[in-house]
Order: sequence, then C-alpha cells, then structure tokens
Amino acid sequence: MGRFQRAVGLVIFGSAVLGSVMLLVAVGAGDPDPADAPSEGVLFGIWRVLYDTEAPPTHILVAAAGLALVFAASVALLERRIATRARRSDRPDVMPLAPKVVMAETRGVYAGPVTVTVLIPAHNEEACIAATLESLLSQSHRPARVIVVADNCTDATVQIAERAGVEVVETVDNRRKKAGALNQALERILPAQGDNDLVMVMDADTTLDAGFLEAAVRRMTDDRALMAIGGLFYGEEGKGLLGQFQRNEYIRYARDMRRRRGRVYVLTGTASMFRPRALRTVAAERGRTIPGVPGDVYDTVVLTEDNELTLALKTLGAMMMSPAQCTVVTEVMPTWGALWAQRLRWQRGALENLGAYGLRQQTSRYWAQQLGIGYGVVALTSYVLLIALMVLSLDNWVWFPFWVGIGLLFTVERVVTVWRGGWRARLLGATLFPELVFAMYLNVVYVKGILDISLQRQAAWKHVVVQVGDRRIRVGD
Amino acid sequence: MMVQPLGIVFSESALRSDQFAVLAAFVAINTVIYVALAVAKMLPKIYVRDHVASRYSRQETRSIHPDGPA
Repeated sequence: MGRFQRAVGLVIFGSAVLGSVMLLVAVGAGDPDPADAPSEGVLFGIWRVLYDTEAPPTHILVAAAGLALVFAASVALLERRIATRARRSDRPDVMPLAPKVVMAETRGVYAGPVTVTVLIPAHNEEACIAATLESLLSQSHRPARVIVVADNCTDATVQIAERAGVEVVETVDNRRKKAGALNQALERILPAQGDNDLVMVMDADTTLDAGFLEAAVRRMTDDRALMAIGGLFYGEEGKGLLGQFQRNEYIRYARDMRRRRGRVYVLTGTASMFRPRALRTVAAERGRTIPGVPGDVYDTVVLTEDNELTLALKTLGAMMMSPAQCTVVTEVMPTWGALWAQRLRWQRGALENLGAYGLRQQTSRYWAQQLGIGYGVVALTSYVLLIALMVLSLDNWVWFPFWVGIGLLFTVERVVTVWRGGWRARLLGATLFPELVFAMYLNVVYVKGILDISLQRQAAWKHVVVQVGDRRIRVGD
Repeated sequence: MMVQPLGIVFSESALRSDQFAVLAAFVAINTVIYVALAVAKMLPKIYVRDHVASRYSRQETRSIHPDGPA
C-alpha cells in the first residue's frame, strides 16, 4: 500500500475535523450568549412544562442552510460536468469507452441480438444458490448461459447448481477470492463474446426481481454506447430490527437512485451487467490509465472489487446506469458483528480505492462523499454529547419549541424517504432515535476504517460465517 | 446541610457556561445544515431541463441495429 493510500483516511477525516474546528472557532468568536433560565408554562391546563423560546438568529439559520445546499449543489454540478465531459469526449486514447468513441467504432455494424451470460461467483453457498438460480431461470428474458463459478467450495454448491441444469466452472488454484475467481472465468468466456453478448455478474446470495433481464436487455438494445447496468438492491425480509435498519437504508439508497434518474454511484456486486467491450478495455488499460495488473478485469488486491470496477469504468468514460426496473433482493446482515465486518470492508475498500485512483475528476464525487460522512461523524457525535450533557445536568427537562419543530421536520423526512418500505419501515423512521443509534454505529465503523487504513492494519478480507437458525450464512460481501 | 437543586451528574449552571454555549451553537448550526439537506431530500426533485424546450435531437441511431430509429 502506498504512502498516499495510508494517508487517505487522515486526509479525509482530518479535513472534516478541521472544518468542524473552524466552525467551532467561528461560533466561539461570535460570542454566543449563555442560555437564560427557561420559562414555565402549563399545557392543557394540567401539564406543567419548562420551555425556552430561544432560537438561533435568522441570518445564522439562513447562512447554515444556504451553505449546506450550496455544497450539495456543487457536488451535483461537478458530477454533471464530468459526465458531460465523458459524453463529449471523442479521444479513444483518453476515454476509450466514451459514447462517441464506442459509437464511431460500432457504426453500421450489427453484432447480433443481445444475449446474457450470467456469472455467479460462489464460495460455499449451498444455503442460497438454489433461490438465486431459480430467480434467474424464471426471468421473462432467459439468460443464454448461467455459469456458477465455484471457488474452493467444500459444500453442496456444485451439486445444487448441476441439478438446476446450469454450467459449473471450478476455479483452479485461486487464492485471490471473488475477484480472482471472476478473472479466471472471464478469461475463458470473454474472447468468444460478441459486442452484444453481455456478461452479468451476480452474488450467490442475491435474487433478481421479475423483469430485471428484460428491462436491462431492452436498454442495452436501444443504446449500444451503454456500457454497464447496475442493479438496485433491496434488503430481504426478516432479521428483526437490525434487518429493518438495513432495509430502510437500502430503500433510501434506491430512492436516491431514482431521483438521480439512474445515474450510478456504484455498480454493485449484487448484480451488474456489462458489455464485453467494457470489461476487455478495463483489462487492457490496467497498469496504464487505471491501477491494477494488466490483463485482469477485476483488481484482485482491493477489498471492494465492484466499487473499484465502477471507478475504472468511469475513468475510461463509460456510460452506465441503474434503471428503476432492475431490482434485486440481497441478504441483510443477521447480527451486529456481521454488519460490522461487512461495513468495515466496504468502508476500508472505498478508502483504498480512492487512494489508488487519487484525486481525479471522476473520483471527486466519492471524495466529497467520504468528506461528508466524516463531517457527519463529528456532527452526530457533538449532538449526542450535547444531549447527554443536558440530560445529566438539568433538574427538569426543558422544551425548546424551535428545536422540537426541527426534530419534527427530520421525522417527516425519515418517514417520507422510506414510504415505499411499508408500515414497518415508516414506523421505524418515525421513531427517529433508533435510526440515530444505527447511524452512530455506522459512524464508529467509519472511524475504525480510517484508523485501520492509517495504521496499516491487515485488512480483514475473510468470510465470517454466522449460524442463523439452521442456516450458516457467509458474511463479508 | 443545605439542599441545592442539582442535575443528575453536573450542576445546572454548567449549561450556562461559555463552553456549553459554543457547543450548543455548533450543534445548532449543524442541525440546521442537516435539516436543510433533509428537506431538500424530501421534496420532489425538479429537473429544469424537463421544462425547457431542448434544441438537441439525435443525429443518428444509438440502437444496436444500424437501421434503428434515431
């Protein structure tokens, strides 16, 4: 790992903390008035309450809200500019996957109808592989080939796949986990794939919703410059409150994607579809314009190979999207420990990817996102500290009507953004504080990820196997 | 012994200190920042381009079929 990669965490979190300190100093310099004693009132004639009508001055409110919106809008504008630049690029040496380049190279050529070859990397997935295959084989558009890439399986995965009538390819001497397994399979199949013979990679613990392939194939047929389609994932049912936290999170992410009109953040490993040209170009460009070993489609050193591949494709100018119709259901982590392992890997992987790619136009959005999370950690922690101080110091609870109003706005947002998730999702959103605790938990994981990468601790790319009822669940993807 | 009204752990006067006022103002500003973002997230997203007549029209087909519609 390079020195820069180690520094990534500190650069990001350091900037967030620095920003907070600057704000604190500014606030201190403004000499805020210590609070006056609250007034007493009577509600409904019987309920005696202490309240404090103090609210921040209007100009501060406007400045804070304005600053937030300007920051959000700048990130969005920057992202738009980068996308437009890729769309307009006609330089194959700089952006070999840019739409204009691809269009020029395929003009007037018909490479046959769109077909789909599905690769499912599987390492001891007997608990879920049958459902995954069933969801694939019952699609309205049948995949041309389904290949289970069995990677060092010691359970019944291979037998179950064979019984379902799909192809099985076993990896040979693969020590490079999922990315290594996929590279081996791609090395075999890619050379024979024509321009429209799509490759879909999906996790063995994921099931496709009906209509996924049909919608994806239609888009790939209509636009030959479209290089990749990513699935929108929802959390499976069950796993109690912890499951609901994750489902709410995924529902909000999917809502964000719809509002972005499918513009991709990450081509998720749960299910993504690629044009062979995209994968071949990535393999050819590794070691040149993008990091990695020349000839490898997936980077085998990174912890989050799907995020890395997204960055690779974006760097090469590829157009990609996540259509609202292409949804998948994926596993939610059954325990807090399993969630910890999963998120630590995601977080650390994202930071490592940023370190490897450095500050480029295409990564600026992701840097901003990490910075935003870093600031969120400081903000939420100081909020919790403040509330704790108040609870531990006040003789009687004091109500602040202004802040109660703000709290209500937050509550409405929490409910509206998970509306599609049904009454359970809305109820959890409406209670506000449990989701704050969940956010705090994820913040701790974030800080741990920063510490780990800065202190160069060994990355934990190992599967955690959790026993849930009579099922053993592999965690880590 | 004199009985004084005290908070559970700290004295209520801690809340009237300057340090507490700075922390409270910091949290207040952050809260307003996040509520602004939350409200922006909650409201329907408006794409200005949808309501402005575009001069752009495709010159050629992007379909995989060379003779497909533009």
